Amino acid sequence: MQGVIAAFAELDSTVHAIEDLRKQNFRDISVFSPVPRHELEEAIAAPESKVRRFTLIGGLLGLTFGYWIPIWISDYWPLVVGGKAVASWIPYTIIGFELMVLIGSLSTVFGMFALSRIPRLTMTVGYDPRFSHGDFGVWVAAGPDRAPEASELLRRHGALEVRNER
Amino acid sequence: MATMAKPRPEHLIGSNIATAGNRLPGIKDYEQVDRDIIATLQPTLGWFAMLGVAILCLLIGASTWVYQIYEGLGSAGYQPPVMWGVYIVTFVFWVGIGHAGTLISAILYLFRAGFRTTIYRASEAMTVFAVMTAGLFPILHLGRPWKFFWLIPYPNWRLIWPNPKSPLVWDVFAILTYLTVSATFFWIGLIPDLAVLRDQEKNATRKRIFAVLSLGWRNSDNEWRHFTRAYLFLAAFATPLVLSVHSVVSFDFAMSLVPGWHATIFPPYFVAGAIFSGIGMVFTIIIPLRKFFKLEHYVTINDLDAAAKLCLFTSCVVGLAYLTEFQVAWMSGNKMEQEYFWNRVFGQWTWAAWIMLICNMVLPLSLFSQKLRRNTKWLFMLSIFINIGMWFERFVIVIPSLSHEFEPWQWGGYHPTWVDYNILLGSFGWFFMWFLLFIRQMPVMAISEIKEILPPKMRRAHVEAHHAAHGTLGHPLPADGGTH
Repeated sequence: MQGVIAAFAELDSTVHAIEDLRKQNFRDISVFSPVPRHELEEAIAAPESKVRRFTLIGGLLGLTFGYWIPIWISDYWPLVVGGKAVASWIPYTIIGFELMVLIGSLSTVFGMFALSRIPRLTMTVGYDPRFSHGDFGVWVAAGPDRAPEASELLRRHGALEVRNER
Repeated sequence: MATMAKPRPEHLIGSNIATAGNRLPGIKDYEQVDRDIIATLQPTLGWFAMLGVAILCLLIGASTWVYQIYEGLGSAGYQPPVMWGVYIVTFVFWVGIGHAGTLISAILYLFRAGFRTTIYRASEAMTVFAVMTAGLFPILHLGRPWKFFWLIPYPNWRLIWPNPKSPLVWDVFAILTYLTVSATFFWIGLIPDLAVLRDQEKNATRKRIFAVLSLGWRNSDNEWRHFTRAYLFLAAFATPLVLSVHSVVSFDFAMSLVPGWHATIFPPYFVAGAIFSGIGMVFTIIIPLRKFFKLEHYVTINDLDAAAKLCLFTSCVVGLAYLTEFQVAWMSGNKMEQEYFWNRVFGQWTWAAWIMLICNMVLPLSLFSQKLRRNTKWLFMLSIFINIGMWFERFVIVIPSLSHEFEPWQWGGYHPTWVDYNILLGSFGWFFMWFLLFIRQMPVMAISEIKEILPPKMRRAHVEAHHAAHGTLGHPLPADGGTH
């Protein structure tokens, strides 16, 4: 994908550059930052993360599975222990809870991986090691017709370096 | 200039909420954090020496285990009526140690306690390695350790399944879940820091390893957005998990009818004890670490002071539980229970009970003094006493109960042998071997979270400084924003 990448030293310059890019109808914008910042999240105005759905579904599946295993085992070997019902749901709550946490956590991680598109075998165009060190990066998709406009806007906001990527 | 026309509101340019209230005045910028923490990864002669000692202890433990398998469990001092000894004591001890890491990383994260930021990575590593150590003991305790997997419910040709009403089976689920979730939480938190190492590493092989471990993390807004949500949900899962695991471990005892064990107080008592012992081990690890790595300006004395308050609080809860146990025995009217507690404190096991009471209940009261809370030498010494005291707490719970049950023929003694001591030593070797390997391969502090504490560079601040230097404050900004 063709576009322009710019490195910024300051947070507020990055935020204002993103806001101006959006005003100029540049839609495909990504920002790289060494830390998560609410200011950048607001400037990008990305929708709420969908990781929560994975968490909920994984947790419910784990809970169901965690009750089902001991109930099935108890029915398979119907031994009365301590005068309690063959399938006693109260002690099985422990297994249900543990598996809810286990499967819920693993599916949360799976959801994060799927939505963030990691693991990634190659770094995508435009990444610079500075973005994990101290600088902020702004990537904007722009064809040859709009790239000069985007570069000019990013420079005007104090970018340390602006370059075209393909 | 457009960038200066609309200044961001003040509340948006402060530190992020997860690190609220924490300040690190000794650190200038993001780049310094990378430099300081990456510098800790250089191996030194002292590190090699300590690793050598840890591996030697592990080898002593491992060779003793081989001897025990050959000779049988009798070589470890087990004789009726005491068939649970040092191995179960040490199992509960290490599970307890493993509680502080997740408490610090997950529960204090949800409570927005700023002091956790600089100590949580080392504590999390401690948790994972402590649970790995604890997991060995139920296997070491088996006469035929190669059959340990029979506890896991899996389809098998014998058509035999474990009894899901048994607390030992709950233990399998609780410990394996805790190990998996805390290791996952630990690794997920490491991903952005591994990306920093990947980007800063000069050695090609290590760079490739970090690239694989960091999964191609790029610090993009999309990644951070899902990462922060996932981290929050993992913390929310880990919080009740911490409380559940030691409750389940306490059920191993509380579900029986043995005097001294059959008590409803056990789950909260065990959880408070676990957190207390874990904080003790955090001090044992963090205080030398900050000194040897010269990271005193990261793990500040204020952080240690705050952790010491947590230690004092949990010590008070544990002390209250000790006293409540006596009160329960006294008011129960149960002769066996009363005899048992008398025997614990004034009979056969006096020495162990008083080590426990002094180390866990009396000495930590010194932390009411702010001067001592801020004295690292005292905190380190106290942490050693807490480690000893908490091991003896488990000893006092396990051994006196089994050696003094309902009838005189069930009264006996217990003498650990050199096999028990060697395996105990080996467990410390195993734990410290992993921890020492960790501190030289991975960042001991969360680089990205520490950066969150620092105020980011601001163009506006830069411009204001420029004006202050040139006496032009209040004048219109130059066309280039004043940066050139």
